[in-house]
Amino acid sequence: MALGWNTAWGIARRDLSARFRGLRLLLVCLFLGVGALAAIGTLTGAIEQELSSRGRTILGGDLEVAVWQRAATPPELAALTALGRVSGGTRMQAMARAGDLAAPIELKAVDPAWPLVGRLTLQDGRSAGAPLPGEAWLAEGAAQRLGVRPGGTIAIGTLTLKVGGIIAAEPDRLGEGFTLGPVVIVAADVPARAGLTAPGAMYRSKYRIALPPAANPQQVGDALKARFPSAGFEIRTRDKAAPGAERFVGRMGEFLVLVGLAALVIAGIGIGGGVSSYLEARRTSIATLKVLGATSADIARIYLLQIGAAALVGSAAGLLAGVLITPLLGKALGSLLPVAPGLVIDPAALGRAALYGWLVALVFAAPPLLTARRYPAMALMRARVAPLARHWRDAALPVGLGMAGIAALALITAKQPLVTLWFLGGSLALLTLLGALGWGLRRLAARLPRPQDPLLRLALGNLHRPGAQTGALVTALGFGLSAFVLLAAVQTSLDANIAARVPQRAPDYFVLDLPQTRVDEFRTTVANVAPAAQVRTVPALRGAILAYGPEGRMTRVADLKEIPEDAWPLRGERGLTYSDGVPEGNTVTAGAWWPSNYRGEPLVSIDEKLAKTLDLQIGDRLTIGLLGVERTARIASFRRIDWDSLGFNYVLVFSPNAIADAPHNLAATINLHDPATRGPLLRALVRTFPASSVIEVGGVLTQARDLLRQVSLAILAAAGVAVLAGVAVLLGAIAAARASRVYDNVILRVLGASRRQLLLLQLAEYALLGLLLAFVALGLGSALAWLVVVQLFTFDWLPAWPQVLAVLGLGLALVIGFALAGSLPLLRAKPAQALREL
Amino acid sequence: MEILRGIDLVVPRGQTLALLGPSGSGKSSLMAVLSGLERASAGELSIAGADFARMDEDALAAARRGRIGVVLQAFHLLPTMTALENVMTPMELAGLPDPRARAAAELAAVGLGHRLDHYPAQLSGGEQQRVAIARALAPRPALVFADEPTGNLDAATGAAIMDLLFARRAETGATLIVITHDPALAERCQRIITLADGRIASDRLTA
Repeated sequence: MALGWNTAWGIARRDLSARFRGLRLLLVCLFLGVGALAAIGTLTGAIEQELSSRGRTILGGDLEVAVWQRAATPPELAALTALGRVSGGTRMQAMARAGDLAAPIELKAVDPAWPLVGRLTLQDGRSAGAPLPGEAWLAEGAAQRLGVRPGGTIAIGTLTLKVGGIIAAEPDRLGEGFTLGPVVIVAADVPARAGLTAPGAMYRSKYRIALPPAANPQQVGDALKARFPSAGFEIRTRDKAAPGAERFVGRMGEFLVLVGLAALVIAGIGIGGGVSSYLEARRTSIATLKVLGATSADIARIYLLQIGAAALVGSAAGLLAGVLITPLLGKALGSLLPVAPGLVIDPAALGRAALYGWLVALVFAAPPLLTARRYPAMALMRARVAPLARHWRDAALPVGLGMAGIAALALITAKQPLVTLWFLGGSLALLTLLGALGWGLRRLAARLPRPQDPLLRLALGNLHRPGAQTGALVTALGFGLSAFVLLAAVQTSLDANIAARVPQRAPDYFVLDLPQTRVDEFRTTVANVAPAAQVRTVPALRGAILAYGPEGRMTRVADLKEIPEDAWPLRGERGLTYSDGVPEGNTVTAGAWWPSNYRGEPLVSIDEKLAKTLDLQIGDRLTIGLLGVERTARIASFRRIDWDSLGFNYVLVFSPNAIADAPHNLAATINLHDPATRGPLLRALVRTFPASSVIEVGGVLTQARDLLRQVSLAILAAAGVAVLAGVAVLLGAIAAARASRVYDNVILRVLGASRRQLLLLQLAEYALLGLLLAFVALGLGSALAWLVVVQLFTFDWLPAWPQVLAVLGLGLALVIGFALAGSLPLLRAKPAQALREL
Repeated sequence: MEILRGIDLVVPRGQTLALLGPSGSGKSSLMAVLSGLERASAGELSIAGADFARMDEDALAAARRGRIGVVLQAFHLLPTMTALENVMTPMELAGLPDPRARAAAELAAVGLGHRLDHYPAQLSGGEQQRVAIARALAPRPALVFADEPTGNLDAATGAAIMDLLFARRAETGATLIVITHDPALAERCQRIITLADGRIASDRLTA
């Protein structure tokens, strides 16, 4: 006959201190773990929600149709206007000038119907649509680089435009995706009048359509593609308005959830330790309750309720903190996030965080709870009771259920279940490894010869005495310090990869839309300003792969249900080129290169990775859509491409006779040797080639580096929670051993030890443990970092060891500092007073 | 190792019995078995009609509820509960009605009506033992065990506590078994059993 839940709660509540004395470690650990997960979940949920609810505004319509290097043909346009209201325009890289200043910009030409959804806001508070003919709306960045304000003038190509206003908010900014310069919005006819859309120029026409409410954008888009199969349409719908941003936020969020879970696992160790020492301190109460007639089921019920109440309070506080911290996180991460989240309550994210917290609490609290219910009533009458063996069989069910629950929750909510599975398996392996290490360390400390120095002897003894917290400490600190090493090694490796390769080999400028006829003039212009500069030019075209495979049995890309993950060149239009010789930095790995002045069947050379992904053979056929026309070539060779050089790298290189007749311009790279020539060169190029656009690689790299830095900041923040949880476990372990420590210290003081000696003893003990763990963490963390850097990112393994060691040293100092700070109160105990209390 | 050997004992309802004997003679073990805190490895044990010999630990705990009260030398009040809550707990475990009012009445009967909301740490040793007596007697058990109930108290307080225990027992009519080293205290019981080496060495009724 078990006690009713009501009565059990009545007893549990009375026995529970209002301030959760004894259960604070559990409270803090759950607070940290659940708080981290709640913040991460709320943040990503808020952004994803924002992206999907504002999809129509972000895209600027229900459906967007884009084509490269041409406008829609009259039949195409007629088909689009039949669907609903249409707003058309062009996007391209261009250069804007004002006096002596020049800046690369993203030119966005829009018709009077723009924007179909939402309004443009200017900094002076005006709400506007498309600019008047002869005017331009400038993004703040463009206005700054050009030193202009409203009322001033700028030149684009051969046209002079008045600055009509500075943009405060552009409704479809996110939907435009990654740009290489600040935006300048102009009327639809500006690119053509400025001479920027001559045949072969690199621009994109975009048509946004507002569909009738009943229409399904996806179906409409599919129908358009089927009707114009070779048009090269790139179609996006409102529910995938910003796929890049969504994918980034989704993956980042998922990765952070895994880091948060790692924090929660460390917190779990604290929970287990906290519950264990709480119940240990309750031994007498448990025995008393048994004398009064409580069964072991009653005991389990009473203490389950107490621990559950503390878990509820801890996780509720964590949820609250998670919600409150989200706007701050949004601010701290700033430009990394596509939208800034405000104060959001996302019940699903909070529910997940709470569920994770309770499952972890269940896994780690069940074993001590199930052991505690076996404390015998006789403990009250006998001074010594044999220590209780842990009954693993009892705990197997709840622990197994909890672990299965965590795995199921992680896998169900994962967008990349395989990564999650690896992570879960890895964490389990790491925990097991550290657990085994803790066990081994205790055994080893017990067997080592006793040191001569009495303090060292005691320090060693403290590692294996009954009730020693060595196991928990090894696991928690090992996990935390490994995380330090992992982060430092990954970060320094990535930095080194970027620093070591890119700046030396990346060109300073990319120049687009250089007319073929003016290539000599271009070289002369560059040589006049920067005589040492190296210039490379290649023909630049754009086209989409439409079909591939053996002749007669070709696979059409449009028929593929899903494009394979590694076959990214099949998505939309790609840069194409042709060449007489093998491009610089490329190696032919199969087949043969065509002879110069080749006149035979059109040929193409393909990136060997793509060839492998698509299972292509030499001699197979490849069909591309180029300016609305299908062209087929025979595959003559495979090439290995050195992508790191950041120069011109083309997946597809054709024999000149295959595509050279299509109208096109050249693209150029410029490598400067004298940074001082940068400004004058930019001005000279803009003056001489107003229709061409220049991209500054330095600026793009800075952008990429800033992004990387913010990503690592986010990871560091999440990992910081893991470290905090580790510190909580450390302090909890110190508190758990407090009684025996006070006893030791008092006895040692009575025997004549000074406070300094006692402090040294503590230092020796923690330093011994810390140093050993530092070595273990160095090994484990480096191994994991190597996996991430070499296997996951396929970068070179270039960690900066001094920095890694410094970070590890810092972590170690932090741990020892916290340990000593936690022990100081024990040293203050006065022997006479303490002896009376013992 | 056999601790208790050949114990054959019948205690009539309402009797007061003292268990005397030196340390290690088996007093505490006998009490543990009689009170259902421990199971005898062999033999028969029936208390107030219930067969205690065949119960596992949890069944014993359930059987103790409301039937058996225990007063211990070190009081063993629950430190996190007030005097009132301490007394309520066994009645709640036994599922008895109205535990709060009954606990308050019981505490008033041991002279602590004004100390209901005090925690054990706020009570003197004598007061704590009075709470323990109230806690043992409140469910109206058929059988009350007292293990060295005055061992932690000074002589005067100890005598007062024993007066109280005997008075409350007389009022409730429970059977009382007292374990003690103190022959004077033993003489206040109706029957004295002396244990030696796990056996009953003598069993006599007092005058």
